[in-house]
Amino acid sequence: MISLSTYLLTIIVTSMIMNLALALYGIFFKPHLTKKIIALTILGDTANTFAIIVGYRRWISPHSPSRPPVLVDYANINQEDLVNFVNTAVDPLPQALVLTAIVIGLAVTLFLVFLALQIYRLYGTLDVREIKRLRG
Amino acid sequence: MLTYEEIMLLITALASVFSVIAVYYAIIEKNLVRAVVFSAIQSTIYAFIYYMFMAPDIVLVYIPVAVGLYPAVILILISKTEKVEKQ
Repeated sequence: MISLSTYLLTIIVTSMIMNLALALYGIFFKPHLTKKIIALTILGDTANTFAIIVGYRRWISPHSPSRPPVLVDYANINQEDLVNFVNTAVDPLPQALVLTAIVIGLAVTLFLVFLALQIYRLYGTLDVREIKRLRG
Repeated sequence: MLTYEEIMLLITALASVFSVIAVYYAIIEKNLVRAVVFSAIQSTIYAFIYYMFMAPDIVLVYIPVAVGLYPAVILILISKTEKVEKQ
């Protein structure tokens, strides 16, 4: 007998896997380059969401919720507060990685948009089937 | 009686199911402008999921980038190229 929390987390992870599959389908089987770029942004966001889910921590009791990994008021903190913080805060490492990945994804998307614009200026179309026919 | 964590996970699960619908329409839509709008809806739902999974600093970065800049850049690309994906 699984708990309701585990069941709901399974629904969330399954939805993310379906999003990943749909984005991969869009990248590989959609012929239009703009649609491929949109699917690539969805793929990157879904991968980031997996990292966030990995870093999540379940509540240790119904009255002590997990909290963001931000330590406020650290000037006058004692050891008990610090132990409480470490026991309830979610993992900050995936969040730091995701922060970097979002910015890098933006740069990659801008570069791909520039490439698509140049392809349109050279070939007059963004459909990869026609670009393949026009090549050479 | 649901606990607070189960209520939180229930809302997040509903949001993730809606994100699957948004991604599906973003992928199958032939009109590229509407596909970008569905992609922005998906990004908004993802930002909500990040907030529920205790990552508010990610939300602060993700909202301007994924709801503001991605659709703006792709809409500029669409306005300079084709608006409808041919069959």
